[in-house]
Amino acid sequence: MDIGIIDYFANSGEGLLHRASPLYKIISTVFVLASIVITNDFIVLLSIYLMLASLVILARLPFLKIISIAAYPAIFAVLFAISSWSEDWIIPATIILKALCAALAMVILIVTTPYPSVFSSISPFLPRVILEGLYLTYRSLFILLELMGNLLRALRIRGGLSPRRYIKNISNFASGIGLLLIRGFDLSERFYGVMQVRGYSGKIAEEERKRKLGHEDIFPIAVGLFILSVSLGARLEDDFKLYGIYLLTLSIVFVCCSAYYVYFHNSTRGVFWKR
Amino acid sequence: MSHIHIPDGVLPIWLVVIGWIATAVILYLCIRRVRNVQLGRKIPLIGIVSAIMIVGMTLEIVPIAYHINMSVIAGIVLGPALGFISVFIVDLMIAMFGHGGFTVVGLNTLVVGTEAAVGFYFFHAFLGLLSSSKISAGLSAALATMLSLIISTSLMIGIVYLSQVNPEKILHVDKENFIGKVFSLGPHRENEKHEMQDNKIDIETFAKTVFFLGMFGWILEAVISGFVIRYVSRVRPDLILSEAT
Repeated sequence: MDIGIIDYFANSGEGLLHRASPLYKIISTVFVLASIVITNDFIVLLSIYLMLASLVILARLPFLKIISIAAYPAIFAVLFAISSWSEDWIIPATIILKALCAALAMVILIVTTPYPSVFSSISPFLPRVILEGLYLTYRSLFILLELMGNLLRALRIRGGLSPRRYIKNISNFASGIGLLLIRGFDLSERFYGVMQVRGYSGKIAEEERKRKLGHEDIFPIAVGLFILSVSLGARLEDDFKLYGIYLLTLSIVFVCCSAYYVYFHNSTRGVFWKR
Repeated sequence: MSHIHIPDGVLPIWLVVIGWIATAVILYLCIRRVRNVQLGRKIPLIGIVSAIMIVGMTLEIVPIAYHINMSVIAGIVLGPALGFISVFIVDLMIAMFGHGGFTVVGLNTLVVGTEAAVGFYFFHAFLGLLSSSKISAGLSAALATMLSLIISTSLMIGIVYLSQVNPEKILHVDKENFIGKVFSLGPHRENEKHEMQDNKIDIETFAKTVFFLGMFGWILEAVISGFVIRYVSRVRPDLILSEAT
């Protein structure tokens, strides 16, 4: 998973969702997650997935890249889904679809919101040590990725990763991870020291959290509420399921309209994104 | 393999809530325990160890649906209390990628946190036993990793068993709805009621699959952990032998 690209999307995007407040995007994501938890209807889940996919398009994110990032966790759900197989494909498919929907909802949040803003919004609920740990982990990830790139290059150049020498390769690679741990720790410690010298006291971007509901925030909240009400309707009212096919059609229309608006109606497509 | 990859909304709510409450209580105890430790020095270490765990967890070995956790390394380097905190941070962050489900973060922290804490104690126990050997740190870490992974995987299977997961019952799949009628590939069964009762996840098959596939991953993870700890113990022994909380 390319964490660097996720961070790039979150910080450089200028789409509809990027402009919304992190707090309201988190609330919207919670609504979507609650919907996924309460609904077990395949059609409703498929409709939710398509609606989320249209959000990816509307946010002007590279569609296939985001869908593939969000599809990765579903690989692990397959094992559980296969264990639940009982002559009928609908149960495993529902389990995998739940994993896909939840992953896509979370990925949309993090590709449209920088991590520090997410941490800042949830900071009232977390102890300081965890909050600082989250922030330092986020920072360390980038230190680590840079060091890892250099390490792999150095290993290849010096013949540390040779074909058919598996034990030696694992030994060299693991020693490399040990080196990363030590180098990363030194750099991270220095970074933390610099932050403290500059007055860091465990509080990040406080003003972001206190923002009032603006017009940019209405869209994610409205989408979240719509998805939640659809799921509740499907859960509480059996007759609602009869209209599932209309909901699915509506979602497909939503995807098509989003694609038309972004890719054909708007001349700025693809300008902002790293290919 | 010990990381629970069950999506949101499949496990029963009571189990998910218990997982979150238990994690909150243990986190509270861990934070109390490390209150007197000089955290200014430890927090960067939490950051880098958690980052290594995240990178490890996002690299999947596709044929066996396995990813290495490196949680035993976290336990050895940070100690059981900070190791547990680090595991919570990792689970929270990777849940933001949709990895493992957000509602199961509590249960995942319990399972992987146990791996880290147990790994720390096993490592020091083996280190005591093998202290005369030159490769004691690496070998101790490898053995501790192997045993911790067996324990945490058993715990994960125990949670799945405890949940009494019957996907058909939990998901309330209505076979008479549109999709059931139109796309169902299976024949309509006369004894459907009887089958519904027997249609729990086959815990024996699940356990056998997980243990069989996990075995390859455990060996790989034990070897990697062994080499990493051997290297760190040679270059910066203070990181693993004297400072663990």
